[in-house]
Amino acid sequence: MSELLVVGVSHHTAPLELREKLAVNGDALTELIEEVRREAFAESVVLSTCNRVELYGAADDPAAAAARARALLDGRAGRPLDDELYTHRGRDAVRHTFRVTSSLDSMVVGEPQILGQVKQAFETAQDLGTVGMVLGRCFQRALAVAKRVRSETRIAEGTVSVSSIASELALKIFGDLYGRNVVLLGAGEMGEAAAKALSSSGARLRVVNRSVEKAERIVTECGGEAVSVENLAAELVGADVVITSTSSPKYVLTWELMREVVRARRHRPLFVIDIAVPRDVDPRVGELENVYCYDVDDLQQVAEQNLALRRKEAAAAERIVEIEVAEFEAWRRSLDLTPTIVGLRSRFTEVVRGELERTLPRLGELSAAERQTLDKMAQAIVNKLLHRPLSALKKSNGEPEGAELIATARRLFELDESLRSGSEGEEPARASVALTPKKS
Amino acid sequence: MGGALFIATAIAYAVATALFTGALTRGTAGLKRAARWVLIAAVALHGIYLGLDSLDDGTPPMGRVHETLTGLSLGVTLAFLLASARREGMAVLGAFITPVALFFFLGSGLGRSVEHVSDEVRSMLAPIHIGANVLGLVAFALAFGAAVAYVIQERQLRKKTLSGLFQRLPALDVLDRFGLRAVSVGFPLLTVGIVTGAFWAFRIHPGAPVVSTAQAFALIAWLLFAGVLLLRLAAGWRGRRAAIGTIVGFLCTAVVLVGYVFRSTGGAS
Repeated sequence: MSELLVVGVSHHTAPLELREKLAVNGDALTELIEEVRREAFAESVVLSTCNRVELYGAADDPAAAAARARALLDGRAGRPLDDELYTHRGRDAVRHTFRVTSSLDSMVVGEPQILGQVKQAFETAQDLGTVGMVLGRCFQRALAVAKRVRSETRIAEGTVSVSSIASELALKIFGDLYGRNVVLLGAGEMGEAAAKALSSSGARLRVVNRSVEKAERIVTECGGEAVSVENLAAELVGADVVITSTSSPKYVLTWELMREVVRARRHRPLFVIDIAVPRDVDPRVGELENVYCYDVDDLQQVAEQNLALRRKEAAAAERIVEIEVAEFEAWRRSLDLTPTIVGLRSRFTEVVRGELERTLPRLGELSAAERQTLDKMAQAIVNKLLHRPLSALKKSNGEPEGAELIATARRLFELDESLRSGSEGEEPARASVALTPKKS
Repeated sequence: MGGALFIATAIAYAVATALFTGALTRGTAGLKRAARWVLIAAVALHGIYLGLDSLDDGTPPMGRVHETLTGLSLGVTLAFLLASARREGMAVLGAFITPVALFFFLGSGLGRSVEHVSDEVRSMLAPIHIGANVLGLVAFALAFGAAVAYVIQERQLRKKTLSGLFQRLPALDVLDRFGLRAVSVGFPLLTVGIVTGAFWAFRIHPGAPVVSTAQAFALIAWLLFAGVLLLRLAAGWRGRRAAIGTIVGFLCTAVVLVGYVFRSTGGAS
């Protein structure tokens, strides 16, 4: 039976440098999702944001699958990740998924971007065909829970999102943002949100992107002007605030470039917000005169100051999450029981029918009515034989020993073996997934 | 009576300083309101003290060094109260400006030992020289308060320690522009003060070849402010360097005043 798993690192456990190393996007993300599915889990979703890199999955042997997933991340980090890496299984994994999606585990509790990021991660995995029923249901519920949390609590109220923190800092530098030039470099979701927040305060937005289409889309949504990436240096000279959110693996705003820019700016202050992971801005840029550079971890520091304000609402949100986790677990347990009942009926019916088919030729010519009577008798035998075991299974469903009883029944009647016989050598998790179409 | 009033005024300034510091570090709105009212009370006491002192002496309140200092202290306080009334966010600068007012006021107490200005030294230039210097120093005191706040705020922003102090201090650009305006007002006044002072000194002691320590510091302060203004206007200088220039310039002018107070003989030089 598949169990949910989450293996990963987040801003709670790992520094920015490690998250940068593990973060993936684009083709690398696709490759990682498939690698996780191939090497570790039966189902897989990969959530890679600036604050976390997490492998979500379902597997029949969760301990072994978790070990394989940990080894995979160790390999990517180039060293064993001990305390930085966490593993959640079963109910804890469901709770974690719901909490992450509801922004309860975010650097800035209640920030809205994570919902879109989880949705995107789920859809990407769905497109790749790595999402099965269990993980699919878990993510669908997680998205619904997040919406419920947002509508039933005030967790999203107040100015504690990364974008509003960026606005607040900009106001502490410039006093007033009206008429200030904000340059948005890249098209990351959080960067876009920050730019939108600043432009809503009266700042002029200039969007610099390699993809003109993306730049035009942002301009359509947030206003401002799309600018060619070739004019980057000139745009930086005219900027008051620069928000970088590209997926570049190297620094986009190098120290050398920014030194020249600062000279040309004639001492005007410049606020640089680097939301990208890996970072877009050389950390030395923050040492330049009148340049104030904040990266994702710096923003976390500010966020922590505001966290206390959200604790009360977070407690209410946690209660909603707990109710939803319990409901999901009830569904999952029923999922374990249903295929077992179907499998047992199918196995017994198969045996009785087989024997019946072998016996019938020896009984001579039988009328249709006689055949129907025998058929009913066979079904009645199956029902009577299964009545007590199925009652016991149903009764124990939801109890601690229920899962063990289901596993015993499946082992005794070789329900999993019969599925596996058609796919020799395939790992157990894959065989379990193959059960799904049969059941339906 | 005068002594009691002096002590009461000094205590009022000291309490206002403590309350403004508390308002800045703790962020309590009540402390800020209390600080403002105590400072207004200090101004009232100060005005009465100055008025009674002038009546006792029978001379204008700017005739002697201690009167100049006490006038300067009152001017700084009044200018700050006016500026902070127009911009609520600037009220926290009281934590930096009120100590300056207190410093000048206490200095005026020490300056009472300084002898009368002789008739020989009195001149038509005296009111212009003293008035320009006092008003210039009032402007520089405000610029000094803004510059200190700027340096603290900039340091917090750079070190990323965004505490409550960061939240309560005004924005960097607001402080920078306030400082620039104050220096722009103070500099021409200081220039008039220095030119008239030099002319006056030359008239009294035409043969004196040596520039006194006070004059040297006055010149250094003038050069510093001239440099800050020039670099701001011509080279677009702003920010931390401009703030530090303003702080050093103001401290030089303060040294000039201290020099006056501790001189063994009276008169301007």
